[in-house]
Amino acid sequence: MADPAHVHDLASELDDDNLQRSISGWLLFFYVLGDVLGSGIYVLIGAVAAAVGGAFWLAFLAGVTVATLTGLAYAELVTKHPQAAGAALYVSKAFRRPFLTFIITICMLSATFAAAGSLATGFSSYFAQVWELPPPLLIAVIFVASLAVVNFIGITESVVANMVMTFVEVAGLAVVVLIGVVYVSRGEADFSVLVQFDTDGSPVFAVVAGAALAFFAMTGFENAANVAEETVDPSRNFPRALIGGMVGAGIIYVIVAMTAALTVPIDTLAESDAALLEVIKADIIPVPVGVMTTIFAIVAMVAITNTTLVALVTQSRILYGMAREDVVPGVFAKVHAARRSPWVALVFSALVVTTLLAVGHTLDAAGIGGSSGVVERLATVTVVFTLVIYALVIVAAFVLRRDERPADTFRAPTALLGIGIVGNAGLLVYVVVDDPTSLLWCAGLLALGLLLYVVERFFGRRGETRPPPGTARTTSTSTTSTGEEHR
Amino acid sequence: MSMHVVVATDGSKQSLAAARHLRALAAPEALSAVTVLAVVRPLAAVSFVDELSGTGREDAASSVASFRDAAKASIDVIAAVFDGWGPKVHRKVRSGSPANEIIKVAEQVDAGLVVVASGGRGLSDRVLLGSTAQRVQQYAPCPVLVVRPAPKRRRA
Repeated sequence: MADPAHVHDLASELDDDNLQRSISGWLLFFYVLGDVLGSGIYVLIGAVAAAVGGAFWLAFLAGVTVATLTGLAYAELVTKHPQAAGAALYVSKAFRRPFLTFIITICMLSATFAAAGSLATGFSSYFAQVWELPPPLLIAVIFVASLAVVNFIGITESVVANMVMTFVEVAGLAVVVLIGVVYVSRGEADFSVLVQFDTDGSPVFAVVAGAALAFFAMTGFENAANVAEETVDPSRNFPRALIGGMVGAGIIYVIVAMTAALTVPIDTLAESDAALLEVIKADIIPVPVGVMTTIFAIVAMVAITNTTLVALVTQSRILYGMAREDVVPGVFAKVHAARRSPWVALVFSALVVTTLLAVGHTLDAAGIGGSSGVVERLATVTVVFTLVIYALVIVAAFVLRRDERPADTFRAPTALLGIGIVGNAGLLVYVVVDDPTSLLWCAGLLALGLLLYVVERFFGRRGETRPPPGTARTTSTSTTSTGEEHR
Repeated sequence: MSMHVVVATDGSKQSLAAARHLRALAAPEALSAVTVLAVVRPLAAVSFVDELSGTGREDAASSVASFRDAAKASIDVIAAVFDGWGPKVHRKVRSGSPANEIIKVAEQVDAGLVVVASGGRGLSDRVLLGSTAQRVQQYAPCPVLVVRPAPKRRRA
């Protein structure tokens, strides 16, 4: 080595391998697929079937299409701004209105709260298929609490673990499809079911109603922005993996929905808490039903767990980010010394989700909650928030086209984005008109966000978590270390 | 015979203390280079927490959570410890599981020493085993210096 003293002034450059990133295109594809697949089909298929009738696969097709069009806007924006902040960042860049950015961030946060609540309830329904004894609310709460603990300890960064989760999810749905294939090949299928509408009103409204619920099944894809920064060659890989994952999930959904419609009477699907299990229970393939039911319930729980984990990660990230910007109390930016996890944000998120579950179950038990159960109610709330976010993100994509475009960014087809806005807005209007009580829940969650903001405005400043550079606090902390004792 | 040292940072103040510790005890002539390494965890609740640099306030308006930038900012603070010391300073950001990446980098640069901080103090450190420092010292291809926080008062 040359005289080190002369070399060291070159040291300000990062090494050329600093571009090393760990998320490849394939890994991102499986991340999207796993995240999307877990969220809806296991939990909501019965509700969608009830809303539409035998033709409910159309509702999934419509929901998937609108979501995928929105995905195009995300793909375009992520290639321009590959940071983890997602929708809030795009809205902030496009409109430069702090208040709007704040609202959209609260919407994102609320959407993940409601989604986690819905998923946790879905988890408890499948759990009851394996072990009926514990009360569902207790299981849902334990589920949320243990995922918070997992996030605190730190989820594995292992590429393999994520792939395995996704493969398990796909395998579960493949079993359903296999049952459909066997059934059809025996010539027992009555295909007229697939064009049957069980509603009194117009079939169009039935599909829109189903699509609004099916839409929940696609939410979660936007969490791919979490790993955008660590994606290899994002401008090439991100659009491919995101749209590929969504289309893949969409195809699986439509086929699974058709299979369920063909093999199980629609009434049975509509009444079941764990509707996909009814397909297994139809006893079409020569495997003991009891064994299959247990295995499938476990697969469903894995799928739901995978998606809920990502939702909880997103929540604590959003809270952490807002705390760093002094929008909510700084305590949410507190990171555990050894674990490097935002533990206050994790605990708070778990508490909010638990409260949602408790309120939902109480209303349900008292018969005030309306006809729909906790799963659907919270799913609807999620859908309201996400539709608002998605519509705004597409608008932001248009607005940000005014900026000069870096050389190799993905550009979504303009016409498709236009259809996407119309689709999102249309679904939003329908959901709100159809189920105005969901607005009360939305208002409750928004109020919580505003409350945090108010607390920070009035009591903030004192509790700054980050001292300015070079203050006494920084130095005094480091002098307490063993490193200094030897001096 | 000179040696390449890998100094890992997780953005904690303890990792800064670890870097200072290295500077206090090693002779610069004995070292060929120092690589300051930060590992971003893409799937974790928060991918990287920079508690070292005071920056970040000014880009507060832009709600940008660039964990990579946070990692680079921490690296800069750690690298500044070795300013004018002698050995060439390299900076690296990697992403993945911290322990794995630290070990990989140590193998790549044929490191003679890895310096890590162990942030835990108190209960969590004893109950929740399997921290990065522990895995690094088990699997690293070279000696490992684990700098732990000073015990609170009593024994000092």
